[in-house]
Amino acid sequence: MLTKPQKRISKRGLTAWKISGAINSIFVLLVAGGVIALTLIFDWPIWIIGAALMFFAIYAYLFIMLIPTLRWKRWRYEVRENEIELQHGVFIIKRTLVPMIRVQHVDTQQGPILRKYRLATVTVSTAATIHEIPALDVEEAEELRFFISNLARVAVDDV
Amino acid sequence: MSEPKRLHPISALANFVKQLKELLIPILLFVVVGNSEGYIQFFITLGFVLLILITGILTWLRFTYRIEEGELRIESGIIVRKKRYIPFERIQSLDLSEGILQRPFGLVKMTVETAGSGTEAEAVLTAITKSDADRIQQALSYSKSENQLDMESQVTKEESIIYKIKPSELLLLSSTSGGVGVVISAVVAFMFQFAEVIPYERVYEELEVFISSSLIFISILVFLGFLVAWLIALIGSVLKYANFTVKRTDEDIIISRGLLEKRQLTIPLHRIQALRISENIIRQPLGLASVFVESAGGSVKDSDNARVMLLPVIKKSQIEMIMASCLPDYDLNHSFTPAPKRALRRYMYRGLILSVPISAALIYFFRPWGYIGFAVIFISLFFSYLQFRAAGWNLEESQATLRYRGITKNTVFLKKNRTQSLTMSESHFQKKRKLATIQAMAMSGSGATGGKVADLEQDDVITLYKWYSYTDCDQQEKPLH
Repeated sequence: MLTKPQKRISKRGLTAWKISGAINSIFVLLVAGGVIALTLIFDWPIWIIGAALMFFAIYAYLFIMLIPTLRWKRWRYEVRENEIELQHGVFIIKRTLVPMIRVQHVDTQQGPILRKYRLATVTVSTAATIHEIPALDVEEAEELRFFISNLARVAVDDV
Repeated sequence: MSEPKRLHPISALANFVKQLKELLIPILLFVVVGNSEGYIQFFITLGFVLLILITGILTWLRFTYRIEEGELRIESGIIVRKKRYIPFERIQSLDLSEGILQRPFGLVKMTVETAGSGTEAEAVLTAITKSDADRIQQALSYSKSENQLDMESQVTKEESIIYKIKPSELLLLSSTSGGVGVVISAVVAFMFQFAEVIPYERVYEELEVFISSSLIFISILVFLGFLVAWLIALIGSVLKYANFTVKRTDEDIIISRGLLEKRQLTIPLHRIQALRISENIIRQPLGLASVFVESAGGSVKDSDNARVMLLPVIKKSQIEMIMASCLPDYDLNHSFTPAPKRALRRYMYRGLILSVPISAALIYFFRPWGYIGFAVIFISLFFSYLQFRAAGWNLEESQATLRYRGITKNTVFLKKNRTQSLTMSESHFQKKRKLATIQAMAMSGSGATGGKVADLEQDDVITLYKWYSYTDCDQQEKPLH
């Protein structure tokens, strides 16, 4: 068996994901509310109301509770001298290796929610693929970006 | 050749045609959607076309190129004037092609590619004389050899022909190409598009007398339709791939093809990222395959440039021999470790997830004809079985090979140092059966290509994973960070 990558992402990331899930759920709630209103106005069959509420409840549970929690639990990463290893996924668990010499550039980025929680996402690009380590502590993300870009610079340039 | 030169006037026409092609859909929409009465519409359309024509001519007038101080200098633009200076060192390749517009005048189209991964080629000289093209090429190779200071490599630059398509192969290639489907769907789309213009109902009424429930007549008609579509695709393919020749020099592979439109493509060997053997469902039973190389660089639009067909159609048994002289780095001769038997069930399920709803919908909505929908399930099961059979992998010192099938069977040869990333994935159900999926990505053009094999033995996938890893996974060192 393979040993798992060791590092986890910030615990605050889970909170940030739950909040963005909640914001998405508000939109679903608005749509569901609209459907319910239409049902009442036009005398559509009553089960539509139930279905709309049910849909909202399931959506909210999945995207506020279950998926962020699982996602956070699964996320592991490790940056070694010569490669980056990532493990993530909710139902399908993916493990990815990115050799340091293949890294072309590293970015960090922040949305409003992440900024509020002092988090940032590190994006690692190779010539063909883009990999993300989401929701790291800002200082850690900066440090990581610096670390990776320094190591990647040593790389031989053979694409 | 330092004074600014214009392109051949024919390029004004080429500009016009190109612009017209891009605006064809809006213009057609305008004509079709707008009311058909009144001449205003006609004149507006005419005005548009005239405007495009004038723009084309002006574009040609303003476009000049020259060679100066080791640079290709291009100035263009009607309102916004652009100057583009391309240093020779940055030019990766000069591709020549001869289109229908260029051929009658003995002209060529020159595409200048640089290393940058822009969305289109760095510069295109639409129509220049062959002697001018030669001069540019000479200037380029002269400056390059001057920089490298090793004239010898220039002298020993001899070409050897690796492959030349035989007439029988050309015919085989064309008759088994997937182009038929494209032509048929284009015809169908066209018929629907112009349903309003062509008075189908009247045509039908007149035909009804002839047809009068004669099913045979319709079948023959449909068959003839397919035959014609197939013939069109065949001719198109023959024109495209006639004279297909692969040459190899010390540093490049040069591919030329085409009868009406001649195209020549140069791929530097060091830009080749991966090798791919494709066997489509018609060719596979005949023991035929196509060989592609994935190359880095080039522009996004020019997808031809990223995945280059090296051998359009070839007996599978001959590939190894030809490739040995062409790309000896790649080892094509080896056996594959297949997916374990217990993976078959998962392949079947995966096929059924898609095919059962489709056939259910067919049966529900189109009874009684919908019962044909059952066939969808059988076809999907058959394909699932083929996909299972195709799944396999192999590992050499520095090369991994993945074999898989979507509809076409693909074998991808990847070098460790050309692979950009490697991913293994496991779902809950795969884990229970000790299966896993492997995916490797390489660069192609400015995008990505790769191979993905589902449901291999978990231990095999871990072997592949460890092979790619630079750290010894068993006795993992402490993370640096």
